[in-house]
Amino acid sequence: MLKKILFLIPALLLASLPVAGSGLAEQAYRFELDNGLRVLMVQRPWAPVIHCHLMFDVGGIDEPPGLGGIAHMVEHMAFKGTSILGSLNPFREHELLDRVEEAADAYFDALQSGAPQEEIDRRHAEFLRAREEAQGVAQPNILDQLMGSQGAVGYNAYTSYDHTSYVVSLPANRLEAWIRVQADVLLDAVFRFFYEEVDVVKEERRQRNEDQPVGYLRERFLAAAFQKHPYGRPLIGSMEEIANYRTRTAWEFWETHYHPNRAVLVMVGDIDLERAKDLLERYFGVLEPRERPPGWIPEEPEQEGERRVWVEYNAEPQLMIGWHQPAYPDRDIYVLEVIKDLLVSGRSSRLYKRLVVEEQTALSVSGATEVPGARYPSLFVFYAQPRYPHTTEELEAAIYEEIERLQNELVSADELVKIHNRARASFFSVLASNSGLAQNMAYYELFRGGWENLLAYPGLIQSVTAEEIREAARKYLRPERRTVAILAPGPEKAAE
Amino acid sequence: MQMSKTGAPMRLAVMLAVLFLAACPGSAFTEKPSIEWPYPDEMEFPPLEFTSIEPVRHVLSNGLTVYLLEDRDLPLLQGTVYIKAGSIYDPPEQKGLAGLTARLTRAGGAGARTAAEVDERLDYLAALVTVNGYVLYATAEFSCLSEYAAETLDLVADILAAPVFAEDLLATERNRMLETIRRQYDDPVQVAVREFNRRVYEGHPVSLYPTIASVNAITRADVLAFHAAYYFPENATMAVSGDFNTEEMIALLEKTIGRWEGKGVEPPELPPFDRQPEPKVYYVERPLTQSVIFLGHPTLTFDNPDYPVIGVLSEIFEGNLYNEIRTRRGLAYAVGSGLSDGYRIPGILYAYAITRADATGQVIELILAEMEKIREVQITTGHANRVRDGAVNRAVFRHTSASAIAGRNAVDDLLDIDPGFFEKQLEKIQVLTPGNLLFYAFDYLRPEEVVIVVVGYAPMFDKKLEEFGEVILVELEQ
Repeated sequence: MLKKILFLIPALLLASLPVAGSGLAEQAYRFELDNGLRVLMVQRPWAPVIHCHLMFDVGGIDEPPGLGGIAHMVEHMAFKGTSILGSLNPFREHELLDRVEEAADAYFDALQSGAPQEEIDRRHAEFLRAREEAQGVAQPNILDQLMGSQGAVGYNAYTSYDHTSYVVSLPANRLEAWIRVQADVLLDAVFRFFYEEVDVVKEERRQRNEDQPVGYLRERFLAAAFQKHPYGRPLIGSMEEIANYRTRTAWEFWETHYHPNRAVLVMVGDIDLERAKDLLERYFGVLEPRERPPGWIPEEPEQEGERRVWVEYNAEPQLMIGWHQPAYPDRDIYVLEVIKDLLVSGRSSRLYKRLVVEEQTALSVSGATEVPGARYPSLFVFYAQPRYPHTTEELEAAIYEEIERLQNELVSADELVKIHNRARASFFSVLASNSGLAQNMAYYELFRGGWENLLAYPGLIQSVTAEEIREAARKYLRPERRTVAILAPGPEKAAE
Repeated sequence: MQMSKTGAPMRLAVMLAVLFLAACPGSAFTEKPSIEWPYPDEMEFPPLEFTSIEPVRHVLSNGLTVYLLEDRDLPLLQGTVYIKAGSIYDPPEQKGLAGLTARLTRAGGAGARTAAEVDERLDYLAALVTVNGYVLYATAEFSCLSEYAAETLDLVADILAAPVFAEDLLATERNRMLETIRRQYDDPVQVAVREFNRRVYEGHPVSLYPTIASVNAITRADVLAFHAAYYFPENATMAVSGDFNTEEMIALLEKTIGRWEGKGVEPPELPPFDRQPEPKVYYVERPLTQSVIFLGHPTLTFDNPDYPVIGVLSEIFEGNLYNEIRTRRGLAYAVGSGLSDGYRIPGILYAYAITRADATGQVIELILAEMEKIREVQITTGHANRVRDGAVNRAVFRHTSASAIAGRNAVDDLLDIDPGFFEKQLEKIQVLTPGNLLFYAFDYLRPEEVVIVVVGYAPMFDKKLEEFGEVILVELEQ
C-alpha cells in the first residue's frame, strides 16, 4: 500500500482566469496517486453530500472490430460484484463460472460448426444448467443493495463513444463505502451472470434502437455519416455482435483498459480533504497502472457529396441533418457552438422563431455540436419534427436558407451579445450542480488539457466574431459535407 | 435459490477462502488486498452532522407566499411559482385547457410587449422562463444571471399578471399541442403509461387526456376564463433561491411580482376518487419487437400513515423484480416498480417491464408471482434492514441545494403538507421489521386486483393474454 505523502495543491493560480464569481478555482484541489489516478476535489460544504464521478478515457470507439458495444457490456458487468461482494462461496463460484465457460464453448462450437439441431439443443440445455448452478451461489445486484443501504443516490454508470463514467452521490459521512466498493470492482470484478446480461443488453438494444423511432433513425444516420470512423457504429453494438459476446473477450477488454492511470476521479461536495485522500490511497492506491495499448482508429475521409438516408417507420416524420465538424483543439468548435445557439437556442433564435413560432411548419427544432463524440472530428447536427401537413422537405429547405444567410451576412452585435449572455448563464448553470461540475471537470481533465480549461469556456464563446461565424458557415456547412436522414411512415401509417 | 442478503454468509465464505487457500491454487482473489477490506454493511461511519437550512417564508402584500433561500456561490437566480392550475381542473370536454393556458401565458405576449418582444428580451438577458401545466399545478419557472434579476422578475411579473394571450400565438400553441397528440403513439412507453393511468383512474378527471377534438374546442375566451379562475397569488406559492440578499429580494419581489393582483378566492376543491378499477387486461396492438407491460392498482393517499410503508414495500418489490426478471433471467433491461404520488387522489402501486414479445406472458406471470411472494414469504432481516437504512440515509438528499429546499417548501405549502410530515414518515419507516412488513404487504399488495396494460403485438406473444383476465382491445383515439 502506498504511504507516500501527497500534497494537495490549491489551484490558487487559476483565480485570475476570466471567470469572476465562479469561486471554483479557490475551492478545487488536485493530486495524483502513484498509480496515475488523477483526483480532483471541490469543497462545497453547503450540504452534507458528495458527488463522485470516475471517468475512464475508454469508450465505444476503442472497441476492436466485431466487438461493437463491448465497452457498454463491460460497464454493465462492473455492477455484478467482486469475489467477495456478491458470492455465497467464492471458491465454489469460481469453479462453477469456469464450467459455464466450458459449456458455453461447447454450445457456441456446435452452433458455429453447424452441428445437428439435436446436438445444439443438448448443449444449450447443458449451458443453461451450468448457468443455473452458478447462479445458486451468486447474490444478484449486491452492489446496488450495499450502496442503496448507505443512502447512495444515482449509483450508476454510462458509456459513450469517448469515455465511460461511474457515478454516485453519497451522504458525506459514507464516502468510504463507495471508495471501498468501487476500488474492489476495479481490482477484482467478477463477471457473474454474464450470459444473462447479454440477453439484458439485447433488450436494451431493442428498446433504444429498434422500438424507438429516434433511436432507429440515429443509428442509420451515424452509419451513413461515418463510413470509416467508429462514430458510425452503433454504440450498443449490433444484435449479432451482442449475441456473440463471450466472457473472455469482454474480460480482455476490461483488463486492457480500466486502470487508474486511464481515469480521473472528481469529487464535489462536503469533503474532508485529508480524510478523502487517505481513503483513496488505502483503496484505490492498491490498483496497478497499465499502459494504454497502441490502438489505431481509422480517420474518416473527407466527404465528397451529400448522403441521404430514407427510413420507413411506423411513426410521424422526423429529420436529422449533420455536417462534418473538426475536433478540439480546433477553435472552430466554439464558432460552431455559437452558430448552433444563433439558430436554435431560445424562442427568438433564428430557426426556432421561423419554423416553430412564425411559419409553424415544425413542432420542434434543435441542434447539437460534437455528435456523437468529441475526441475525434464529429458532426454538427440539427434535428426537427415537421408539423402536419408540413414535410421534412420544407424544414430542410428552411434550414439551408438560414445557413445561407449566415454564409452571406454578418451577424449583428446585438445577436452576439445574446449568445455571450447565454454562454455565461449556461456555464454557471452547469457548475451549479455537483454532478454537472464533476462531469465537466472530469471531461476537461481527461480530454481538454486540464480541468482549469473549463473556466475559459465562456471567454472562448465570447471571443467568437461575426466574421468567424460567416467563415465557419462557409467552410463547414456545405452540401457535400452533409448527411440527411429522414424517417417517415410507410404507406399504412400515412393512409391513417 | 433465494439469496441471502446479509453479510453473514459472506464472512464465513471469506474465512473458508483463507483457510483453504493452499488447496485452491487457482483462486487468485485471496491474494488481493481487498480480502482484508471491511464488508460494506459492517463499516462504521460517524453520524452525519448538519443543520438543516430553512428558507425564509414571506407573504407578499398581494397574498403570494414566497420561500427565499440565499446561495451566493454562483451569480445565478432561480425560482418557481407554483399555481394550482393543473390539468386536474380541465373541463372534460376541453381537456388540454390547463396546458394550453400555461403555454400561452408564457408565449402569448405580456404587459406592453408582444410575444416576439418578450422572447427577444428574455433571450437577450439569457433568462430562461417557462410556464408548464402538470396534473396538480402549473409552474412558472425562471433562471437568470443575478445581474439581470430585476429585469427578469419584471418580465415574469408581466407574464403572470398581464398575459396578452394573443390570438395568433394561441393558434401556434394549439397547433403544437395537436401535433404532439398526433405523435403520441410513436413512443410505446408513453402509450402504455397513458393507457394505464386512464384505466386505473377511470371515472376521475386525471384519467382524461387531451384529444384533437377537445383541444380544437378551446377558444381564447376559455383560456381567459381559466386564467381568471386559477392564476392568482393566493392560489399559488413561490420559491426563489440564489445570489441575493433576502431583504433586498423581498423588496424587489414586492415591486415586481407584487403587481400580480390577489383575488381572495378560495381555490376549487378536487373531486374525490372513490372507486376501484376492474381488474382487466387492456391490450394495445402495436407491431413492435418488445411488449411494454404496466400493472398495478390504486392504493392510499400520501397522508395515510401507512403510505410510507407502501413506498418501502414497493422498493422491496422492485429489487426482487430486478433480481428475478433482469439479472437472473435476462428478460428485460427496464423492469421495476413504484408508488406514484398520492397527493389528493390515491397513489398507484405499479410494476412495469419491457420485454421481447415472445416473453410477454412469462414476464407478467413472474411479476404477479413476485407480488404474491412478498405477501407470503417474510423477507430476511438483512434485506429489510438495507431497504430501511437506505430510506433513512438518503433523507439528507432533501437538503442538497437551495433551489431544491425552497422548491420543496413552496410545493408543501401549496399542497397543504404539514411541516415535519416527512420526518413523521421516516419515523414510521425506522421501526419496520420483516414481520410487520409481511403484515402490511398482505393488506396492501393485491395481485388479484391489478389492472394490466400491454402494448405490443399479440401474435408473437408466448401466452394468451386471456390467461390473465378479461382482455379489452384498446382502440387508440386521436
